[in-house]
Amino acid sequence: VALLGTRFYVAFDALAVSAATVAEGFGGRRAGGFVRVPLEPGALAPSPSGTSLARAEEVRAAVRRAAAALGGSRATLLLPDGVGRVALLDQPEGAVPRDYVRFRLAASLPWPVSEAVVEALPAGRGRVVGAAVRRAVVAEFEQAAVAAGLEIEQVHLAPLVALEGLMRSRPREAVHAVLGDVALCLAAFRDGALVGLRSRRRDRSPGEAERLREEARRASAAADSGAFVVSGSGALRLRRDLGGRAAGNGLDGPAEWPEAAEAAWLGGLVA
Amino acid sequence: VSRQPDFATSPRPRRGPAWDAAAVAVAALLLLAAAGGAWRARAEAGVAHARLDEARRGVEAASARLRSLDVRAQARGARLLPAADALPARVVADVASVLPGDVRLERLSIDYARGGAVEMQVVARNAAAWDRLLERLERAPVFREVEPGPEARDGEVRSLVRARWVGGGQ
Repeated sequence: VALLGTRFYVAFDALAVSAATVAEGFGGRRAGGFVRVPLEPGALAPSPSGTSLARAEEVRAAVRRAAAALGGSRATLLLPDGVGRVALLDQPEGAVPRDYVRFRLAASLPWPVSEAVVEALPAGRGRVVGAAVRRAVVAEFEQAAVAAGLEIEQVHLAPLVALEGLMRSRPREAVHAVLGDVALCLAAFRDGALVGLRSRRRDRSPGEAERLREEARRASAAADSGAFVVSGSGALRLRRDLGGRAAGNGLDGPAEWPEAAEAAWLGGLVA
Repeated sequence: VSRQPDFATSPRPRRGPAWDAAAVAVAALLLLAAAGGAWRARAEAGVAHARLDEARRGVEAASARLRSLDVRAQARGARLLPAADALPARVVADVASVLPGDVRLERLSIDYARGGAVEMQVVARNAAAWDRLLERLERAPVFREVEPGPEARDGEVRSLVRARWVGGGQ
């Protein structure tokens, strides 16, 4: 029962605009519908500093189709991996998370920090996942949604939504690769806690699965003995490439909608 | 509930969840029901107050009546006769009504402390007149316990007669 209401999510990425309705209750969340509207190559290219919606009208049309398919009007937008800077930070006692993240990320941003929207996601054990997105980039996606007839409720980052789902599931020894269309996050877990986080652009050329596995090994000393889990865009292909070296289905979306299998953000929401 | 940070350029207040609205609605209904109950209770309290006042007035009246009866009962028990019930004029009139024409009343005393004891000093012209006086006194319903005193018969009969005046109410 959707005691806490039903939310309509619209997720942008390079290959498609996806949308889902998610009912929220005290027992957790449950997806009520999912739709994926593919985009022509080049229409949307997630960028942390420049224009992401190269062909904005195509993206707006995809948003309209997704909203029409699920009957959504008030939407929570999910920005794709690759538009922001994400890092795991040890937070000093007494520090205000957002201010501390702003302080720590300021020097590494390719744009002035005054232009950034900075937020923090609690990661447990005195750590936070800090994230910064350029305000102009957020506004670009917001304008596309508004132009498509949506009222915006909130704006989240897709990789943070997936990470929150992973943290809720408290994995033991594992490295999770959460894949977006153009960027990915490698999250290392030990004893149920997030202990390492890397974010970078994807190289989808042949051999990606093996390169990811090597990177996971470097990301966490636990990766050799622990599990390596792949979720998100292209995860099905990568798992095939890895054979028995990939464990589990990670943050696969609900099986009711085959196209949702690679929507790690939705897997994270309902995890 | 999600802890997801909001990156919106103009963050909007979060939409209240459905159960919030339901809880507010239920609370409003409960408030209305409580207000209705309080209003009814207040009206009932008003009626109860009126009944209580009425009962209190009844009790006060009954208490006054009881006190009055108590005084009378005590008076009866102690053979006290309230002066209001035995005005001297009434006693004198009753004595006069039984006094034969040939009997003269020389002195009359009324003792209220002894239950309306009447003491009459009379002079009868003769013994027959004296006897008639005693007879009338004994027949009169307003007198009881008639006790003739010692007679001094020297043509006239001079004596003291005691009785108890009970009036019309016994």
